[in-house]
Amino acid sequence: MTPSLTTDGPVRLRGERAAIIWGTIATVLVVVSTIGVFLVAPEDADQGIIQRIFYFHVAIAIASLVAYGVACVAGILYLRTRDRRWDDACEASIRIGLLFSVLVVITGSIWAKASWGTWWVWTDPRLVTYLIVVLIYVAYFVLRSSAEDDRKMRYSAIYAIAGFASVPLSFYSVRVAESFVHPVVFTGGGANMPTSMLTWFIMAQAAMVALFIALLEVDLLGRRSERALHMLTIRLERG
Amino acid sequence: MRRRQLIALVRKDLRLELRTRETIVAMVLFAIVMMVILQFGFGTRDDDLTRFVGGLMWVTLAFTAVLGVGRSYVAEREQRVLDGLLVAPVPRMVMLAAKAIAILIYMVAVEVVVIPLVGIFFVQGPYWGAIGWIAITALLADICIALAGTLFSGLALFTRARDLILPVLFLPALVPVVIAAAGATHAVAGGPHDMSEWRGYCLFLLGYAILFALVSIATYDAVFDD
Amino acid sequence: MDGVDLDLAPGERLALAGPNGAGKSTLLRILATLIRPQAGTLTVLGTDVAAGARQARGGLGYLAHDPLVYPDLTARQNLEFFGDLYGIPDRDARIDDLLDHVGLRGRAEDTVRTFSRGMAQRLALARMLLHRPRLLLLDEPHASLDQRGALLLDDQLRAARSDGRAAVIVTHEVERVAPLCDRLVVLGAGRVVLDEPIAGIDPAVVRRRYEAVTP
Repeated sequence: MTPSLTTDGPVRLRGERAAIIWGTIATVLVVVSTIGVFLVAPEDADQGIIQRIFYFHVAIAIASLVAYGVACVAGILYLRTRDRRWDDACEASIRIGLLFSVLVVITGSIWAKASWGTWWVWTDPRLVTYLIVVLIYVAYFVLRSSAEDDRKMRYSAIYAIAGFASVPLSFYSVRVAESFVHPVVFTGGGANMPTSMLTWFIMAQAAMVALFIALLEVDLLGRRSERALHMLTIRLERG
Repeated sequence: MRRRQLIALVRKDLRLELRTRETIVAMVLFAIVMMVILQFGFGTRDDDLTRFVGGLMWVTLAFTAVLGVGRSYVAEREQRVLDGLLVAPVPRMVMLAAKAIAILIYMVAVEVVVIPLVGIFFVQGPYWGAIGWIAITALLADICIALAGTLFSGLALFTRARDLILPVLFLPALVPVVIAAAGATHAVAGGPHDMSEWRGYCLFLLGYAILFALVSIATYDAVFDD
Repeated sequence: MDGVDLDLAPGERLALAGPNGAGKSTLLRILATLIRPQAGTLTVLGTDVAAGARQARGGLGYLAHDPLVYPDLTARQNLEFFGDLYGIPDRDARIDDLLDHVGLRGRAEDTVRTFSRGMAQRLALARMLLHRPRLLLLDEPHASLDQRGALLLDDQLRAARSDGRAAVIVTHEVERVAPLCDRLVVLGAGRVVLDEPIAGIDPAVVRRRYEAVTP
């Protein structure tokens, strides 16, 4: 894992190959699904061009949930092993998941503007839920910044687990409230989609999950190389 | 053995609270001030706020809960006895349960004062008939608050700026509780009773409590495991 | 902390010395199960702490700088509370005995807030002895105990030898505790730099080792 000082060739770090492979897969999938969604998929009769944002909106939303799930599992593994690499994976996943969640809120808001003429609709469960989810996971970083070392990693892991438990609760609470107060304006959409739409939806979903994995690999690679560099510096200083 | 430890821990917290009366008195005063502010914030001094009673009540109680939960390890921290607890053979789960019960008792004590006041301040419609249903809702919501609050106050205990960290961690997790508790209160207090709606929200609160209990039991060992 | 490997026999009383920052208190907190060692194992009274911390804790008596009692409770309430945590069967009789022993019977119903530091620490001594621990962990006990408390503690340590109770005493004044101990360990920068029986130890050697690790 630690690069040797005596190698002549370029130093290889564990995970470099995985990052390259996943980066390539993600790039291809994102390009293909973008072309497919915007040029190939049939246009929705009612909503027109703006409906195409839906593919990515939902795909990013689900990918961010995947990210939080990965973070939760990494948190559990950290508590079991106390291996800081799980803490790395946990933080990196939440960072990417949070980025995705913010994108969900933004794309959702654009959609709300196009569909209902207003940037924010409190009656749309998806938008409201994701706002709560963003708040939950921003707090993760606030917590991280206020503790050190061992404690920081431990608390973060616990919070990643508790946070992931809050996600379904937020989803469900918003929907329970919706179902009583208003008819849900827009339901998930999978059930009555034409097949070609469904194909591109799955494509977009695969692209977003691959993007998450690629970003995660790159992030972890960055941490590993930083650590390796740090160790090298120490060794060189000691002579 | 465990039960004896649990009783000792809860009794100790209540004894300290009875001696100083710091937490509950502060919580009640805070809740009353909060309701006055909400009233003026809405700017509708003469209007019938019955429709909003669920929201007003649970916004007030949520912030009051943050205040109370923030005090939950204050005796151990300020009086520097936490190590004394941690070297004793107390399962961390018993510590968790004891703190949750203490928070639950504080919340109930506050609600005994606050809920009638909510009625007097904000409700013009039918209200007193629903008091029993509201009490059940409040009890369920309090269990949720106590469980989540104990976990998050444990996390905030050793952080820098812990008084700021706790609301940041605790309030987002409390949003579902506020939504459901406000909805359930609204269902029975704001006009004609809708029992199926009330039941739906209460089941949700029950689910929340169970889920957070499981998460807390699974992780609480690690909170104090330095 | 690095490569610290210590074995303590029943009835053995170990003085743990070393300059500030050598890791004495940290080692004591690890032994008290308050800090989890990052590597290595800790077995207390025959129990692996990683597996059964609770069982190990039941046999530990820990005396810290702080008395670890609630100032807003009375002396008796504090002891009742800790007695329940440790599950002592003869709680009330035991508490009366100990209050007599540490000379606080007359102040049992007063809150600890009204006590002097020496009295509070004597109460801490009672709290530590409450559950008849088999391993005593003392963090510079003589620095915070008053005269009377110190004499009581000295009696306890003398009796420990014959009762088969072990003790670890973190100290700055080796001469003060030497007559009560069997063995001296000096820590420097997280390592053991001296580990010898106290009987017949040469003070000059101790001083030299001590100075060698003092930054």
